Amino acid sequence: MTISAESLAAVGGALALAGGLGGAAIGMAIAGYKGVATLAEQPQHLRTVIILAALPMSRVFYGLIALVLVISVVIPRISAMPDPAGSGFAVLACCVIAAFAFGFSGMYQGTVCGSGISSLIKTRGRILTNALVLAVFVELIAVLGLVFTIMALSILGLM
Amino acid sequence: MSQSKEGLKAGMITDPYSLATLGGNIALAGGLLGSSWGIGLAASAGIATISQHRSQLKNVIILAAIPMSQTLYGLIVLIIVLRVVAPGLAGVADPGGSGLIVFALGVMAGVAFATSAAYKGAVLASGIAFLAKTGGGILTNCLLLAVFVELIAVLGVVFTIMALSMLGLM
Repeated sequence: MTISAESLAAVGGALALAGGLGGAAIGMAIAGYKGVATLAEQPQHLRTVIILAALPMSRVFYGLIALVLVISVVIPRISAMPDPAGSGFAVLACCVIAAFAFGFSGMYQGTVCGSGISSLIKTRGRILTNALVLAVFVELIAVLGLVFTIMALSILGLM
Repeated sequence: MSQSKEGLKAGMITDPYSLATLGGNIALAGGLLGSSWGIGLAASAGIATISQHRSQLKNVIILAAIPMSQTLYGLIVLIIVLRVVAPGLAGVADPGGSGLIVFALGVMAGVAFATSAAYKGAVLASGIAFLAKTGGGILTNCLLLAVFVELIAVLGVVFTIMALSMLGLM
């Protein structure tokens, strides 16, 4: 059995989405179980808990963007490259970068949001803005993962 | 003959159909692993709650059974791979590469199912631990937060099907 360069690239796209799905699930769950503890004390914080616990979900959409870009833009160009096999492998490696960025930022954004949720009662909900600011720092890493993947693919002439 | 010699040199000969089937099986394995992990987490918290407040048995059973759904999602992916994708592999332009893609998508779905089920179990365990304190009032809020994590597994199924369609394998 031979494996084409295009399929290696598609494997990379799938890996990027897998990282996004895994990171989002773990991050939302970490924020979620802290949210349950907060809601057991004061159910009126439900709206804030939902806002904070939903933040890590964005990783799934970044992963989906990476997969759709690879399938619809990158794969059709691989056969025209001077070194198709190497290009397929390069796409796989670029997507591993994205998968790491999405996985780790999702997971650890969950801990930031969870910490914010735990402090909601003590601060009577006022921690929301500060928790969002600090969570956006971690979000930035996922956005940079997507941007740098696209940048690397552009530099390599694959996009 | 020459092909088998090349295969021996490379170490292993496999065909696209078996790679695709392996991917479907990994998706189901992820679902099974995550479900057992999640139910285990929720149920261990459930035992502690029931031993104190026997009246919470119904709520504990509802909450502890929720991570089971990921097994069904894994089964859906396996059935799609076995019945729809794998038989069509012989007809595509690049069977070897397509088999590898199906394998990778199966791994992606497996990761989504395993992480979402296992960590949903942690959310549910937290809810079960607070059942006694809130007199069962935490049930709705806990379900709401567990559904967030459930969504990731649903997105895993949807995106697997979407990627297979985009690649012309379904």
